[in-house]
Amino acid sequence: MIATVTRQEVEDFLFEDAALLDAWRLDEWLQTFEPGATYEVPTTDRPNEDPRRSQYYVWDDYELLSARVRRLKSKHAHAENPHSRTRRLVTNVRLGKADGTLLPVYAAFLIYKIRDGNVDQFVGRYEHVLSTEGGRLRFWKRRAVLELEVLRPGGRLSFIL
Amino acid sequence: MTQTTIDARPRTADRSTRFIQEDWGRRIFRVNREAFRSPEVLDDERRLIWDRSWLYLGHETEVPNTGDFKQRTLAGRPLIFARDSMGRVRAYLNSCPHRGTVLCRETEGNTKTYQCFYHAWTFANTGELVGIPDPGAYPPERGFAAEMGLRQPPRFENYRGFVFVSFAADGPSLKEHLADARDYLDLMVDHSERGLEVIPGTHMYAIRGNWKLAVENAMDGYHFSPTHVTFVEYLKTTGYVTSDEGGRAITLENGHSVLVFSGHGGRVGMQWEPRFGEAQKSLTEQNVKRLAGRVGEERAKRIASTSRILYVFPNLLLFDIEGLAARQLEPVRPDFTDVRAWELAPATETPEERELRIRILGSFIGPGGLATPDDVEAYECVQRGIVATAGDPRPAVDWSDISRGMAREAEGQPARNVDEAGIRGFWRHWDDVLSGSAPR
Repeated sequence: MIATVTRQEVEDFLFEDAALLDAWRLDEWLQTFEPGATYEVPTTDRPNEDPRRSQYYVWDDYELLSARVRRLKSKHAHAENPHSRTRRLVTNVRLGKADGTLLPVYAAFLIYKIRDGNVDQFVGRYEHVLSTEGGRLRFWKRRAVLELEVLRPGGRLSFIL
Repeated sequence: MTQTTIDARPRTADRSTRFIQEDWGRRIFRVNREAFRSPEVLDDERRLIWDRSWLYLGHETEVPNTGDFKQRTLAGRPLIFARDSMGRVRAYLNSCPHRGTVLCRETEGNTKTYQCFYHAWTFANTGELVGIPDPGAYPPERGFAAEMGLRQPPRFENYRGFVFVSFAADGPSLKEHLADARDYLDLMVDHSERGLEVIPGTHMYAIRGNWKLAVENAMDGYHFSPTHVTFVEYLKTTGYVTSDEGGRAITLENGHSVLVFSGHGGRVGMQWEPRFGEAQKSLTEQNVKRLAGRVGEERAKRIASTSRILYVFPNLLLFDIEGLAARQLEPVRPDFTDVRAWELAPATETPEERELRIRILGSFIGPGGLATPDDVEAYECVQRGIVATAGDPRPAVDWSDISRGMAREAEGQPARNVDEAGIRGFWRHWDDVLSGSAPR
């Protein structure tokens, strides 16, 4: 029995995701992933390439994602200590065609990252796959595709995109 | 596999210039921080280094097919990096010979011809001007079209797939420039009998710091433990044991230098570690056995079981570590540098090994890795911090200290990779070039 998921439910999920990340509540954020889920950010020149054959900015399996969260919580994650201020605007949400309990979700994002007197903008689109197992939404694949040509002037994805 | 320390300058030579203080009596090596801040220094660097030295342009496998092209900016100059219809790798200035318009506006693609949109001049991908609207307006006897082909950087050379250009018409050959760095480049290329290929997907990012901070950082094993403590903690959870026993910093000629990590852990396809999974264990052993059959036991051991970071003056860093990577530095302003970075791989490896390689290196390197962002934080914090001492006339205050390991070196002991010998070698050459006492 596949539960029907509405766009509003998906929006609520994405808005909560943005709120958790902006508040750096990373443990709670990690709970929104199915064990086995992935987080990926392709390069700006090869946004559609298979990560098994292409260099990515981020290609985390669940283990590496968990390590990333552990790292970001450490005061020794120098690139994010102190944490950047971020504010994420997530909009233009669309639902793809579900495959069983896996639901593709598309959205646009604009993330402001503020630190050290710089305001850097990261604009792009989400191409997530959510698990709808048990009527509860969780990430199965979190994929952020940047529209930037180059990571410039801010050149680090030390925060979660 | 012992490496000799090669240093053209006697180790005890002192120097005192506008930028460098080297005093072996006091074991002091200092760099004037104006070298990172001054627009005039960058102007001098452009004139004396970037417009004269060999510069790394790209790897030939980035343009694998005839007609392939990519835009690339080098020394601030827009270029087209291409493979022509004859199969030759080429570099052209991305500027129409007619009025200077940017000719190729696609960042990459495949084409037989380049056409300028402004006046529709058309050039074959071999460089010849093959089409001008209303050609009768130019006198045929002048050989007009023949002298208006695509402009090329004066010199272009390919060393085992690594393509370099020089904007100077004369100077040492690429082999002369690479000198002893060739040996370390060869160790990397020899991973595979068919050489290396670039994996698709380019890391392109900016750092708010001087380009030389990126050189210093790469030739600095000292920062690894404190800066990358969270990455090391992650590695420990995977069963990895780090040891830098026997690691070396080696100063090469012409400003190049190399860090060697002989006690380092895993290298995909070459040296197994638990993170690679059981299935890779025997495959790695077979790889190394095949390698030994091809290059001999001793060289195979050197290729397989030592990691290296090679700096090729001025704009190339080669990482022969868990995986293989090339990083290109492009100064934009004294406090701003563009970086392009590619992952390389043996052309002959299996899809499984390729996938593992991408996973393993990606966890460490690049703007989204678990380590590189902390390096970027370091460059940027130095660039912001050194403003504090600008113009301070007190001795040593507006100078950065690069003296670590001089005491050992003075006793004739080899430099460790956690010493700053490689950085000193870079600065000496840089200082020679800027003061006009080195040829490039």
